[in-house]
Amino acid sequence: MDRWFLLIATLLAAIGGTWGMISVHRGTRSHWTVVWMVAVLLCQLGFLSIRGQLRAACPLQDLGEMLVFLAWSLTLFYLVIGTAYRISLLGVFSAPLVFVLQAAALVSGMLTTSPNRDLTPNVFHSLHSAISVLAYGALALAGVAGIMFLVLDRQLKIHHLKSGLFRNLPPAHQLLVSLERLLWLGTGLLTFGIVAGFLMPRTTPVHSHLIVAMAVWVGYAGLLAVKTVRGLTGRKFALSTVAMFILSLVVFARV
Amino acid sequence: MELLCLGLNHRTAPVEVRERFAVSSTQLGAAAGELANLADATEGVVISTCNRTEFYLAASDAHQALVLLEARLTLRENLDAGASVHFYRKVKSDAAVHLCRVVSGLDSMMLGETEIFGQVKQAYQAALAAGTTGSVLNRLFQRAFGVGKKVRTETSIQEGSTSVGNVAVDLAEKIFGHLKDSEVMILGAGEMSRITAQSLVSRGARSIFVSNRSFDRAEELARDMGGTAVRFDDWQRVLERVDVVISSTGAPHALIHRSDVEKVRRARKFRPLFFIDIAVPRDIHPDVAEIEEVYLYDIDTLENLASEARSRRQLQIEICERIIDAELAKLNLPGT
Repeated sequence: MDRWFLLIATLLAAIGGTWGMISVHRGTRSHWTVVWMVAVLLCQLGFLSIRGQLRAACPLQDLGEMLVFLAWSLTLFYLVIGTAYRISLLGVFSAPLVFVLQAAALVSGMLTTSPNRDLTPNVFHSLHSAISVLAYGALALAGVAGIMFLVLDRQLKIHHLKSGLFRNLPPAHQLLVSLERLLWLGTGLLTFGIVAGFLMPRTTPVHSHLIVAMAVWVGYAGLLAVKTVRGLTGRKFALSTVAMFILSLVVFARV
Repeated sequence: MELLCLGLNHRTAPVEVRERFAVSSTQLGAAAGELANLADATEGVVISTCNRTEFYLAASDAHQALVLLEARLTLRENLDAGASVHFYRKVKSDAAVHLCRVVSGLDSMMLGETEIFGQVKQAYQAALAAGTTGSVLNRLFQRAFGVGKKVRTETSIQEGSTSVGNVAVDLAEKIFGHLKDSEVMILGAGEMSRITAQSLVSRGARSIFVSNRSFDRAEELARDMGGTAVRFDDWQRVLERVDVVISSTGAPHALIHRSDVEKVRRARKFRPLFFIDIAVPRDIHPDVAEIEEVYLYDIDTLENLASEARSRRQLQIEICERIIDAELAKLNLPGT
């Protein structure tokens, strides 16, 4: 049943993304993207809820669950940020990433077929996993906003202003503001995730993935510090955000 | 009852004729009543904008009412017999189609403009309040508003900016979003830069700085626009804080070079900077556009964008007219 929820969520994300892209290509606003993404969120919740019951703990025990949790977090932040700031196109750009993450989770071997019950659940372990992945959702959405900015910036620079995409993209300033807020949110959440990581019981002095997580935190904190103190061009800020997110995915390989 | 329309607009009459028939917005209701009396009609609505004055009437005999109205208007305004060439006359379904074209912006000087919709609505409301409308004109105008909305939502007749000033303002909004936090500097106090800056202010730009070789002229323009005059030697200092620069000096060579912008980048914290160069020869060296956070548009680029939008609107006319015909054919309007 859990896989069915995931499969439906993945298909909905694919349909929502494709629908949105077709609308944008035609030069019209995709009013249905939010609806598709709400449906995606509900299916993700169905999946996570079943896995949580099977695990009797936060469903973040294998890579597949983490990817789905990340996709859920990304969808959630899109629905909060995208609708609040009227950045409807953010959904069109987010849906493909949600699709990729969930499709990766569906690949054989990513999800444990018969998940074991966590007999010794630890609150800090659960907090560490959940908050960290939530943070990654915000950082992923910042990356999506970064890509949108780069597209818009390029179109403005080369005076290519006729496309439906250009007409539908939100203003550059709005994208940069959203991007920065998402980075602050993501970095803040990551701080709590790392602190919780240090508080969870461990066999070795420090987990290697915690070291990678700290490196990611330093990277994002540094980026925000440079942006705040010295300033950065929109292009460098957006590029750094996208690059940082891709690099930060290394942390999942170390889990 | 038959529907009729007598009108004159920017295509048929020069401004000195149009102004004689212009009716202020507060007098539209009274004018509609007077008009109905002039033509011995039962219903009347007067539409009056800077580009047109049109009289819509419902009378028992449209042709007779037209002759009567035209003769009495000519007499009232002391016009000679030749003045009739300035009028166009529409009866029955032609009048209904014409009103739909007007409401949809197809008959406007700037094709597809949206202001006319509100102006016609205001004229109708005034006539309605004055009690000069009845079953014929009420149904006609309500239908025309519906058609106008349909035309605007189902076609791209109003898409894109058709003037250089509006293109520049739209671009500024695409870069900065709301302009309420944006500051603008005008280099050179020419008419074109004044119009563009005024468009930016009308859309909320926070403040305007005006710099000109003649400081008196800069002060004069700054006063007109509620801005601040800046001595020409000081424009580089102001560049540190502004978001939009509109340049239209008469300088024979480029005035703003890449090095000028490079100097202030750090102080600006690399915020986006939008240059609108409407001068010929150009005031801003093309190299400036290579700076990451700079968006540079010259007069040709802006004019091309405006011209493309105008062409796109032209291509929409046929689609709009099909919608009007189809919508009017759906119901049997009285008087047509």
